[in-house]
Amino acid sequence: MDKRIKTLQDKDSYLDLQKERKITLVEVLDRVLDKGVVISGDIVISVADVDLIYLGLKVLLSSVETMERLRGAPITGPMQEPS
Amino acid sequence: MDTEAVKKELLYLYCVTEKAPKLKEVKNLVDELYFVYHLGLYAVVSKVKESEFSEENLKKNLADLEWIKAEASIHEKVIEGVMKYTCVIPFKFGTIFKTEDNLKAMLEEHAQDLKEKLKNLEGKEEWGVKIYCDIERLKGAVIQEESGILKIEKEINGSSSGKAYFLKKKKEEWMKEAVNKRINEYGQESFEIFKRLSCEARINKLLPKEVTEREDDMVLNSAFLVDKDKVSEFIHAVDDLKTRYNDKGLNFDCTGPWPPYNFCNLSKEKEQSG
Repeated sequence: MDKRIKTLQDKDSYLDLQKERKITLVEVLDRVLDKGVVISGDIVISVADVDLIYLGLKVLLSSVETMERLRGAPITGPMQEPS
Repeated sequence: MDTEAVKKELLYLYCVTEKAPKLKEVKNLVDELYFVYHLGLYAVVSKVKESEFSEENLKKNLADLEWIKAEASIHEKVIEGVMKYTCVIPFKFGTIFKTEDNLKAMLEEHAQDLKEKLKNLEGKEEWGVKIYCDIERLKGAVIQEESGILKIEKEINGSSSGKAYFLKKKKEEWMKEAVNKRINEYGQESFEIFKRLSCEARINKLLPKEVTEREDDMVLNSAFLVDKDKVSEFIHAVDDLKTRYNDKGLNFDCTGPWPPYNFCNLSKEKEQSG
């Protein structure tokens, strides 16, 4: 189970979830690898490196659109077209 | 081969704090976890091998998803452990220094900024809300609401194949538009509600199904910096929306508290070159 919280009426279940949080691929790519302070350490992972990980996942990057979507071109409204 | 080079160690930076970090609970996660103190800041680091984290080797390892998952999970757990007791600034996965002096130089350069950030983050938590949409289910709801689509559907049944083709196209377009309109509306409305309950809000890129490993489409990926006193209200708001939009095919995924990955950009932060 990931660290998703289903309902929080029950505080105990909330605490249980907190205890056994397991990090999912989404959160790895969305937070740990993509966010956090980027200061020029001697070595850092670049945006291009992260794109390579997506390629490794066989995410289709053939269209510019997809690439931009992955790169996170700022979205004005929160949404985009469903496929 | 030079054995010195093989053994050479690098410093992996997890996070920075202003109060002495408690490392007892997370010490077993990784070898040689300790902190470096400099100018009123503590940098939580561990020694890592060049065979894994040198620039070249790190790039190679990034091709290995299992390696990434395991290492990213350690990164996250170390920071979460430290975060239990004090406010942290999480660094990006794979931030490496060759020497302690280089690390100290970074702390020196950014000391003021790091301290201001820490002050701003005090008493707040990062929460993430991802909204997914089961498009087929939403389409079902749309049909109930848009009488025009139903009308076209009836018309199709009584039409010649040529006309039916064009009517079908028309119906599909109508449907697509109606679906997009609703996703936008629901997402915007939800985002505004969460935003009102938080100190800062971010909209992040949408992630494809290969990454989410879910059947439904991600339609909003957002992160919020929430005052600790407001967290329960925030979570209740998510639950309310979940109920409100359940029959529209929307699914809410609320996670937290996270290290404030999304709310730590330093003002002097350099743009990374691709």
